[in-house]
Amino acid sequence: MRKLFPPDLLARDGRFVRLTNEERFNDPRGPRGLAGGRPGSKKNNRLTPDLPEAPDAARALMHGIFVGEIQALEGAGRTCWDFETGKGREEAPFELKLDMARQCWDEARHCEISVKLSDWMGTELGEYSESAFLYEAACNPDPVLRLTGVNRALEGLAIDVFTTMKDFGDIAGDPVLEFCEDWMLADEVTHVKMGSDWLRRLTADDPERRANALEFQRVVDKLFSFGGLRGETDENPIKLARRFRELAGFTDGEIDEIGNVSEEATREAAAMGAPA
Amino acid sequence: MGQVTVTPEEWHYVAFDSGRIATVADKLLGEIGLDVDLTIEVDETTPMGRVSTTSFDPLAVSVESGAFEDAKRPRQLSEQAVADVLGRLLHRCRDRLDPGFGEPPADGELTLQQSTAWDAYAVGRCARLGYPVQRQRRLYHFRNRHGFNDVADRAFARLWDGEGLTWADIEAVCAETDAAKVATVS
Repeated sequence: MRKLFPPDLLARDGRFVRLTNEERFNDPRGPRGLAGGRPGSKKNNRLTPDLPEAPDAARALMHGIFVGEIQALEGAGRTCWDFETGKGREEAPFELKLDMARQCWDEARHCEISVKLSDWMGTELGEYSESAFLYEAACNPDPVLRLTGVNRALEGLAIDVFTTMKDFGDIAGDPVLEFCEDWMLADEVTHVKMGSDWLRRLTADDPERRANALEFQRVVDKLFSFGGLRGETDENPIKLARRFRELAGFTDGEIDEIGNVSEEATREAAAMGAPA
Repeated sequence: MGQVTVTPEEWHYVAFDSGRIATVADKLLGEIGLDVDLTIEVDETTPMGRVSTTSFDPLAVSVESGAFEDAKRPRQLSEQAVADVLGRLLHRCRDRLDPGFGEPPADGELTLQQSTAWDAYAVGRCARLGYPVQRQRRLYHFRNRHGFNDVADRAFARLWDGEGLTWADIEAVCAETDAAKVATVS
């Protein structure tokens, strides 16, 4: 079986349409339109049930999470296989592979939960385009960079999304959404903690490798803060979940840095929409 | 039948086709029984998806381009999305132009409960015209506004399957689901 499986060969049926990063990021209208938002629109963009478009926004977001779960399963599975077992720089320790195998089990369960949640919310599988960015981050040839890009950056974003959507379900009185998010959130905290622990263990004597891994995480965090999606102000639809990130092994300084990256992305999104 | 005008005629930010939009709208006007001119003004500078009726005489709607877009293919037109959006909007317009329907408040003054209930009635009629609508999606919208309980689900079914309903019927549904929510809380 081949190692380092390329993203464009991932198996999907005819319902799914893949969107390239170029298509995703090069829309000339920008994420909020050329005017940078609707005239006179309020600054509070937090995804809450009182927004008129909230149910559809929640459906689209949860579909994005669903395809992310598929790719997280594929990525964790690849990490079990792509590296020889060992403690060398280009190897993966057996215990790390064991953690990735456990994560596969969790991600498979999340896929099943997401399919049932899609039915509940009236979303068809493949209704929205799929971006393969999560899996692409899981193709990095260095296992440590995979862990920072996927487990810390992308699974960290999942913590923020699940926390926001759990609150959404609670406010809307939707018990199914609230429970699904709560159960998946618990697993995500574990996955991010795995990433944090392995980052520190594998780079304990290699500060350059750690710096590279954290830089890769920063790049991924920035891309997924595109358009000011996630942050700490009410302008951001998804709230940075500080408490759960602490539980997942992030230091206060690291959480502050993600907040800064998100602010930067929000400013850039506003600038993209500003008249020239 | 009335004439459909779509603006802009030339597109710079999205790959839309005014003629295809007009064709879908024209067919809907006939099926819904609206013999009026219609202007559709699309704002192609935003990927967002809000739509609104800006005038009833003459009939005019304003659409952010995301509303007509294929969710799988950014910036590409989806005739199904056009039918979904305009079908809902035009059914509501027909209700407003029908003296027998009653006098609903202006769109901007509708509560989310009223608007979602009216949408359920409108989209249910689109389904009976043969358009591929998403019933469970509309039920999810409805539950978000009217409660996740059996009373709300039964009310939704009445709206979805309803014909010849009036504004008073929409208001009655809102009162019924509101009472059920209060009963659940207390």
